[in-house]
Amino acid sequence: MDLLGQILINGILLGGLYAVMALGLALVWGVLNIVNLAHGAFIMLGAYVSWYLYTYAGIDPFLGLPITAVVMFAIGYGVQRGLLNLIVRAPMFNTLLITFGLEVVLTYLAQLAFSADFRTINPSYAGNSIVLGPVVLPLARLLAFGVAIVLTVGMWLFLLHTKLGRAIRATAQNLVAARLYGVEPRHLYAMTFGIGIALAGMAGGLYGTVSQINPYIGAALTAKSFAISIIGGLDNPLGVIVGGLFLGILESLTALYVGPTYADVASFGVLVLVLIVRPNGLLGKAA
Amino acid sequence: MLKTSSLSALLLVAVAFTMPSDGALAKDIVLGASVQLTGPVANTGRYYRDAYQFAIEKINAAGGVKVGNESHKLALKLYDNQSDVNLSVRQYTQLASQDKVDFLLGPFASNFALADSAVSEKYKIPMVQGGGASDQIFARNFKYIFGTLAPASNYFGSTVDMLKGLNPAPKSAALLYADDAFDVSVADGTRPKLKQAGLTLAMDERYSTNATDFNSLLSQIKSKNIDVVLVAGHETEILNFVRQAKSLAVAPKMYSFTVGVPSEDFRKALGKDADYAFGMTAWLPSAELKDRWFGDAAQFAAAYKAKFGYDPDYHAASGVADVEALVQAVENAGSTDPAKVRDALAKVKFDSLYGTIAFNKNGQIDLPQTVIQVQGDALIAIYGANRKIAEPKYPMPAWDVR
Repeated sequence: MDLLGQILINGILLGGLYAVMALGLALVWGVLNIVNLAHGAFIMLGAYVSWYLYTYAGIDPFLGLPITAVVMFAIGYGVQRGLLNLIVRAPMFNTLLITFGLEVVLTYLAQLAFSADFRTINPSYAGNSIVLGPVVLPLARLLAFGVAIVLTVGMWLFLLHTKLGRAIRATAQNLVAARLYGVEPRHLYAMTFGIGIALAGMAGGLYGTVSQINPYIGAALTAKSFAISIIGGLDNPLGVIVGGLFLGILESLTALYVGPTYADVASFGVLVLVLIVRPNGLLGKAA
Repeated sequence: MLKTSSLSALLLVAVAFTMPSDGALAKDIVLGASVQLTGPVANTGRYYRDAYQFAIEKINAAGGVKVGNESHKLALKLYDNQSDVNLSVRQYTQLASQDKVDFLLGPFASNFALADSAVSEKYKIPMVQGGGASDQIFARNFKYIFGTLAPASNYFGSTVDMLKGLNPAPKSAALLYADDAFDVSVADGTRPKLKQAGLTLAMDERYSTNATDFNSLLSQIKSKNIDVVLVAGHETEILNFVRQAKSLAVAPKMYSFTVGVPSEDFRKALGKDADYAFGMTAWLPSAELKDRWFGDAAQFAAAYKAKFGYDPDYHAASGVADVEALVQAVENAGSTDPAKVRDALAKVKFDSLYGTIAFNKNGQIDLPQTVIQVQGDALIAIYGANRKIAEPKYPMPAWDVR
């Protein structure tokens, strides 16, 4: 029983990290209709930004997240303005091609710039834990989980209650009507992508404190974020956190009861099931 | 548009570059290899690139390879397989069929060597590889594959020997391994050894290569109170494993890893958390290992570090040994004919900076592993060839009292 409790805690904390990784992907996908295959590469870049801030400026990875977010926002805004706005209304296949190309370029530039060496963001408290009776709560994961909840709820409130958030939702729902009301889509798209990439960057900073960073972590993180977005649905950020938690718990339980090689089988199996049964995600409107 | 004069100047330059510059000398002996220079295992792939180039440079500086009365220089044809097995097979096929290299050097990692050795066998070109240790590579009666990494099945052999002498005696063990050729061979070889040593195999779990989350496995290790944890995997997985062990406060009496511990970059990434980790290496840069070209292993390690800016580990030494084995075999055969060199390789026996190079009838070397442990900032040799070298730090203390 203690073991099961611990496994569930592990799954929930893992799920929080998953959710924050997928948040930016789901936003960009939902609003711009771009499945950003370079999403994981941006997570990787954000992880390096946090690593540099921590290693060379001594800035705590959690306190440095706003800086990482600003840097990554600027990169995201620039990429959308200069590159992705060219294909924003193009067929899905073109967007896949160009973001895949971007992924390859970013990964190889990262190897040139940062080398293939492994990095970890390892502040003194990163390995600490809080013991609650029979279960252990790893501190860094707990903090990352807290940040994930704050970002998700913040994102939700932002989309509901701010002018920019409403404009983003309006554009996602009906571009023509949004333009009639004075939304400038090129700027708005770039803002949205910038926010998505800022979220990815912060996810990278969190990832670096609990795992390891190298230029090649991106592709697997994209796949994971993709699965979570599908499972959670693109309608609203709360769906993403449900998707992340669901996947985190599912993988942890699978590793315990079936075997660790089957964790990915389980998560992508569920992905297929969701696509068949609830194509709009667990929280989405029924198809 | 280019003017005619500058165009012809360009042509002239192009011709000058394509002309053989050493027309008077004997033909170069070309060694071909495809190595992971980019992609997820580029970090280990670089050992082979640097080792091959360094060995060739050193051998050429010492006059090259003597075949009969002629001296030949060595040359290297190197491709980047981007950590992609399928690409590496295509590149080896190209090396054999298009580039027509004389001999082949290996890639890194067992799954690569397993696939690529089919190419060397098909084209009957000897391949000496120092990157694949899986017993599967040598279990197919191939005649043209030779390997200088100690057999995977015996990676934990010396570690299990050491376990028998530890106090307090460990009782239960967990064996965790990634689902690839090398790590499966390690696990298959380790299982019976643990039983013979009288340990209960309380967990025997295979996980997906590139797994990042080990929390479920670690929670089970803790819940079952396991003494000895042996992990056969890749460096990225082991980094995650150790970090997550700390964050879940999981401290078995000892843990040991097939890879990572000998590599400086790995220890740097973990910092203080690398302390107490056991590993193994078939090679330590000792001055007792004499070498015809490099003097000895200690001199080699110093020269390597000065040249490339990082410490060599057994991958690098194994890569150098591959080049030396081919050179030695060519000189012994007195010919560059692939079949004759193949026969010479099968009989070769010489001392190198990597140890005594000789192959068994399957083509694999037999080297004992030395158990090593991170103790503070140092990497200490603990146990090798059935004797204790230094005192292990055992049992590992809990994370919060370090």
